[in-house]
Amino acid sequence: MTEVGNTFKDIVCTFCGCLCDDIIIEVDGEKIVKNTNGCAISKERFVGHMENRCLQPTVKGNPVTLEKAIQRAVEIIASSKRLLIYGLSSTENDAQREAYRLAEITGSVVDNTTSVCHGPTILGAQESGETTAALAEVRHRADLVIYWGANPAAAHPRHIPHYIRQPGEYIKDPKKDRQIWLVDVRETTTTRMVDRFLKINPATDLEVIQTLRALIRGTKLDVTEVGGIDIKELEEIATAMKTAKYGVLFFGLGLTQSWGRHRNIDAAIRLIQDLNAHTKWGLMPMRGHYNVSGANKTSTWVTGYPYAIDFARGYPRFSPGEYTAVDMLARGEPDAMLNIAADPVAHFPRAAVAHLASIPVINIDPKFNMTSQLAEVNIPAAIAGIECDGAATRMDGLPLYLKKVIDPPDGVIPDRDILRMMIKSLEKVMK
Amino acid sequence: MAEHLILKNGVVFDPMNGIDGEVMDICISDGKIVEKAPANAKAVDLKGNAVMAGGVDPHSHIIGSKLNVARVTSPEVNRHHPYPATSKTRSGVAGIIPSSFATGFLYSAMGYTTVVEPALPATKALGSWEEIEDIPGLDIGLLPLFCNSMITFKYVEEGDIGGLAAYIAWTLKKVGGLGVKVVNPGGTYAWAYGKNVCGLDDEVPEWDVTPRSIMTGIAQAVQDLGLPHQMHFHPTNLGRPGNVHTTMQQLDAIKSVKPSGKKKEVVHLTHMAFDCLGVVEEGMANWKDVASGGLIFADYYNKNKHFTTDLGQITFGQSMTMTGDGPFQHSLYLLTGGKAKWSNIPVDVELPGGAGIVPFTFEPKSPANAVQWVGSLEFALSIKDLWRLFLSTDHPNGGPFLKYPLLISWLMSKRQRDIWLEMVHKFAVERSTIANIEREYSLNDIAITTRAAPAKILGMDKTKGHLGVGADADVAVYGFNPEKTDLGKNPDLILKHFAQAQFTFKGGVQVSKNGIVAKQIHSRVHTTHPKLNEALSARIDRELEEMMSKWFSHSFSNYPVPARYREHLEIPRVIDSTSVQA
Repeated sequence: MTEVGNTFKDIVCTFCGCLCDDIIIEVDGEKIVKNTNGCAISKERFVGHMENRCLQPTVKGNPVTLEKAIQRAVEIIASSKRLLIYGLSSTENDAQREAYRLAEITGSVVDNTTSVCHGPTILGAQESGETTAALAEVRHRADLVIYWGANPAAAHPRHIPHYIRQPGEYIKDPKKDRQIWLVDVRETTTTRMVDRFLKINPATDLEVIQTLRALIRGTKLDVTEVGGIDIKELEEIATAMKTAKYGVLFFGLGLTQSWGRHRNIDAAIRLIQDLNAHTKWGLMPMRGHYNVSGANKTSTWVTGYPYAIDFARGYPRFSPGEYTAVDMLARGEPDAMLNIAADPVAHFPRAAVAHLASIPVINIDPKFNMTSQLAEVNIPAAIAGIECDGAATRMDGLPLYLKKVIDPPDGVIPDRDILRMMIKSLEKVMK
Repeated sequence: MAEHLILKNGVVFDPMNGIDGEVMDICISDGKIVEKAPANAKAVDLKGNAVMAGGVDPHSHIIGSKLNVARVTSPEVNRHHPYPATSKTRSGVAGIIPSSFATGFLYSAMGYTTVVEPALPATKALGSWEEIEDIPGLDIGLLPLFCNSMITFKYVEEGDIGGLAAYIAWTLKKVGGLGVKVVNPGGTYAWAYGKNVCGLDDEVPEWDVTPRSIMTGIAQAVQDLGLPHQMHFHPTNLGRPGNVHTTMQQLDAIKSVKPSGKKKEVVHLTHMAFDCLGVVEEGMANWKDVASGGLIFADYYNKNKHFTTDLGQITFGQSMTMTGDGPFQHSLYLLTGGKAKWSNIPVDVELPGGAGIVPFTFEPKSPANAVQWVGSLEFALSIKDLWRLFLSTDHPNGGPFLKYPLLISWLMSKRQRDIWLEMVHKFAVERSTIANIEREYSLNDIAITTRAAPAKILGMDKTKGHLGVGADADVAVYGFNPEKTDLGKNPDLILKHFAQAQFTFKGGVQVSKNGIVAKQIHSRVHTTHPKLNEALSARIDRELEEMMSKWFSHSFSNYPVPARYREHLEIPRVIDSTSVQA
């Protein structure tokens, strides 16, 4: 066991897709008092786990028992003709699996936050495949690491210090033997941490990637610059990519959600595939929510598809743009929504939120968020990886076990148990 | 809740117990086959039906991240194959890479009850156990990969087979493995450098090991531990014309391994259809000159008894190639002119360089595909001892497991082969002897190669693959009367009946009827726990903590799969490996 007195070692941080699992948590009585090794966000997540908590189930703002809240939720679900189940990326795998079960028995749509983050990454992979990477292999071997449209210093604070700027088996000096480059449309906090910054013009990612592909294939291009970068410099970059021993491309929402979207990713995948004719390259999306990779994974093994799934016909169908949460809401299609471990009101476009405001919303979350302000039913949940256990998937696909370090607040239970209560009650109602 | 049952009057094929088409009763109590059922047992009349033990499939990719990557990148292969929910069973998709629930149901519908996932990256084992929660109705095993791990290389380099054996034992226990898989030893590691290996004595980058030292080292470690299943082996040079010769060289190299248990076999060569391609006389090792290697390999098989094999039959149509052989998958991608959707999944230290996935369609009119198709059939119809062979399509590589009835029809029916020889490219006839082969597998032969032999090969023959007293009550009933039906003359009946078992019983529970699954029961997971002596156990704990802490990107203590995901599914088999010296 890793527990020594009130100190827990090798704890997995459940904030971002890095899932750093070297966190040491000290608990004093009923309080988490210290987080060692975690980044600033991780420290806040653990030590501040009781801040801004929703502790009481409510229906229309009135405090009720958990049973009453479930009962009202079940009434909403049972009387709904087109329920949308959404979120799931900031909870553990078992809760996700229960959500698919709920969607199946109610004939609902279930979507996770992928549809507003790396959805285009998946569409790109459906065009071209996926030549991925793994974090240990990158640490041991990569002599050229490129971040593209990502700002790990802010969103994945330990990505560079914990995984990349570390010595590996064949990279003895991570400063000298490994180059870290950043491609973005503006300087960010990550700029200071890298060896080279390439500023490209906004909305030119696709052109720059296709130019690199052409140059790597040995095509001479009759232009002086692409995306604001001199062609000579692009030629030099192409050569550096071809002659690296082991390269990896980490990309963020700056590539997936900017002009070109899934076409950018399609091109990036083809760039990496082309490079494998010369040397070894892989790529990896910088997944944000700690278990959004897990949401894709569980959804895929249960339903065959990673997100945007409709069970209306009694079997799963997949159609991004049709069964994705934002598109459904903007069309005014759902007549009720069950939101689990996400905050659509904070992140969705106005038209989608306007429809959300007009339908009954059931919101399951440990904390108050903007969606709780609008939800008819709010049910508090335990925080996975702090107050209950579970499993989650790191951005490179590695599954990790999340441990419980402290009891949840009185009467607060895990997402999976809330969903199981709903399913049990629904099965009675629907008989 | 298992029932007491008497399955009466069925025509039984139970080759492990020497029963070849006898009318007899099978008694079931508490999930086991028993001598006599309790008085309150329910009788099921199976008059005019064929009865066999539940099917055993030791090589089918049904679990893991490679399946998910394939499903995600190719939703089109499942789009038109919905699997609807019922009040008792979950929904899913049922194309060539079915979703998890559907995978279990589709196997049950065909009368299969035991399936082994033959490529587990041990670092990802937790995810596999979670998936098994959603694959119903089967007994499952997992074979962790050891072939391209830096830890394996370290022990092989030092000639420390005891240390290697201890690492294997430790991993099987900590992640819940059944046996040991080896894929392109050294080659997948070299792929981290954009390279591959082909010869037995090729160099592996950075390490003083060779394909020969890795494959013989691991095979010996497996024997020293006394694991029930011999090393499960995917050789180097997969899918290369002429590789039948290098495959035989590799099997020759493994002959030096000393068997330690009751079994003579020290290696299982998997998916021989991909490993045993020949070339025409005076030909070059390229696809233009490819010929069946079936006869050459059958001759080798008949003369050498130290190995077992399975077919990995290609079945034509859309398939999804996925192997732990990264460089092979890349070469397949290049073969499509770089048009295919190529995926590569590196899995840290276990599998540097990684597994690969490429969707592939085997065309009957393609000369290369027709020759590959005929090679494994020619082999299966030319060997003497069927107890060292099982039928497979290397699902979903050669085609989905749903094509097993088609494979059975090719083996049981000369008429069916003739129909297909008309449809495929003429090289199938010109570059093999298939047209002259009259042999047809009997039902007993099918029972051997789909039940009895695979159970023996896995070392699970005490409880699997037969219907004798003490066996698990896994029973498949097929709705034809073997005494009155000439399957060889009616291949369509083979397709019909083997696709939809009349009944499938798993552990004495009826899970399907007429190919319709109406019961969703949890699968169980069979694992092997080799017990080491104290000195070796202490040593390996220390050494692995040191290596894993240095080489892995996650903490040593987070490597094992926690009991919470295992204990309700796992059936551990403790074996005594204390004789392995520290």
